[in-house]
Amino acid sequence: MATNHLDPEKWVDRYADYLFNYTIVRVNDREVANDIVSETFLAGLTAIKNFKGEASERTWLVSILKRKIVDHYRRINSNKGKAEVKIEYQAEGTEGEWLEERVADLSDKTAEDTMENRELGIAILECLEQLNEKQATIFKMKTIEGIDTETICNEFNITPSNLWVIIHRARTALAECLQKNWF
Amino acid sequence: MKSRSILRMDCSEAAEMCNKAEYKEAGFLEKLKLKFHLFACKKCKKYKQRNSRLSTLLQKASLHTCTNQEKENFRKQMEENSKKDT
Repeated sequence: MATNHLDPEKWVDRYADYLFNYTIVRVNDREVANDIVSETFLAGLTAIKNFKGEASERTWLVSILKRKIVDHYRRINSNKGKAEVKIEYQAEGTEGEWLEERVADLSDKTAEDTMENRELGIAILECLEQLNEKQATIFKMKTIEGIDTETICNEFNITPSNLWVIIHRARTALAECLQKNWF
Repeated sequence: MKSRSILRMDCSEAAEMCNKAEYKEAGFLEKLKLKFHLFACKKCKKYKQRNSRLSTLLQKASLHTCTNQEKENFRKQMEENSKKDT
């Protein structure tokens, strides 16, 4: 059942933000995330003939991306003396403190929180795919990048009230899409 | 009578004000009008709650997007790569 097909020319517009966000929450470095996403697109291009059309385009690209992220971790770990944990007890000004006191404070941000926020981010970006491209772009600029109304209006040649209508539609659609799992 | 017309607002206006308020772009009078409207209109009140919840979620997710420059770079690299192959 080869129902899905690939359209590499649209990849950047459609999936760059999704893949980038997916990566940056895992590697915590903008430059590294950029490199990984770029590698993913290139690997995708070379692997086009292997695409069987069973998965959606995005799912397929994400599966490549995951491998690239793992590769990245392998690379940095081999540079790093095999993930050795070094703790110097006699650091300046901390003499006499117990090791237990140096463990990261997890009280305000637990691992589950981080995981949940990752999933939430992904869910939001998936929901945004349901909007048309212009709506999604404007919504992202306004909400995620925090660009002011005037700048966006000039760029897209729309009036502020056009902009607010677009924002309204986007927010309503998004709330509806997230309703089931997140409200 | 006059004060009433100043404070009056219909639902679509109220929705717009709700959104502006979420982006901190509603003025004082607008917020006041909205408050009055929400006091009287259950439907809009519900909308407002949902909308605020959405803002909380968006903030919690702390999303990242690529800049146009970064996207341009992706395109360029893909183009160069496909030239190399042919």
